[in-house]
Amino acid sequence: MADITTIRQKLAENIGTVTGLRTSAELIDNPSPPIALVALDSVDYHNDFGNGIMLSFSVSVIVGRAAERTMQRKLDAYISNTGSQSVKAGIESNRSLDGTVDDLVCPGVSNVGSITINDQTYLAAEFQITVYA
Amino acid sequence: MAKYVVTGTQVTLNGDDLSSNCARAELVISAAEVDTTDFGSGGFTEVIGGLKSGQVSLDFHSDFGSGAVSSTFQDLVGTIGTVTLIAGNGTAASADTPVYTATVLINSFTPVSGAVGDLSTFSVTFPTSGEITYATA
Repeated sequence: MADITTIRQKLAENIGTVTGLRTSAELIDNPSPPIALVALDSVDYHNDFGNGIMLSFSVSVIVGRAAERTMQRKLDAYISNTGSQSVKAGIESNRSLDGTVDDLVCPGVSNVGSITINDQTYLAAEFQITVYA
Repeated sequence: MAKYVVTGTQVTLNGDDLSSNCARAELVISAAEVDTTDFGSGGFTEVIGGLKSGQVSLDFHSDFGSGAVSSTFQDLVGTIGTVTLIAGNGTAASADTPVYTATVLINSFTPVSGAVGDLSTFSVTFPTSGEITYATA
């Protein structure tokens, strides 16, 4: 299995295929929307007798200022399950991450709504990713 | 050896190490109950041990890669195979990590299994054929 940093970077590369969306493999202090930030949520060890692991990532997609009317439509496009702006399709565009993991799946999106960063309110959504390695 | 949490039972089938795709292993060795109840049993049943038998149950994560577990099972249904299980999280036979060797009848394989969004897994349960051996070295 590849190290977790490589998996993050490969996930960011996958999401980078989404039209018009910047990506970061790590959380950053001053994100510049629209941007997707990859974060590791949890790891389950001993997934099999060969020391396999299951990793849960979340990708926060921050679209833009919540007050702007076009932002909701932009977020709708990112949440869509197909299309060039679909984040789910981008995440699953290369499911083995170039052979570094066994498989991955994006089961859903949560926390769709506004978040506050540096006193600014942004529209955002959180995509879950389960990775088997 | 002390009590232990299972993290790495080594599982082989016909010499192929399938541990990296295996998540549960169980070997059951049992003896038939032969009834010897008679008029001198005082109103209770009496039994003695009869013929022994065994059963191997394994849970796998599906993988159709070359030489991987699903490909390994593909052509084996209906054949006799040899399963080894090293207990105690061991990788070699020792007093604390004994190796059990069983000849089994591979009488089923589920190549396609799983609901949408789930990891594809399959389980097999094979009857043993002949003696189950146990080694510590």
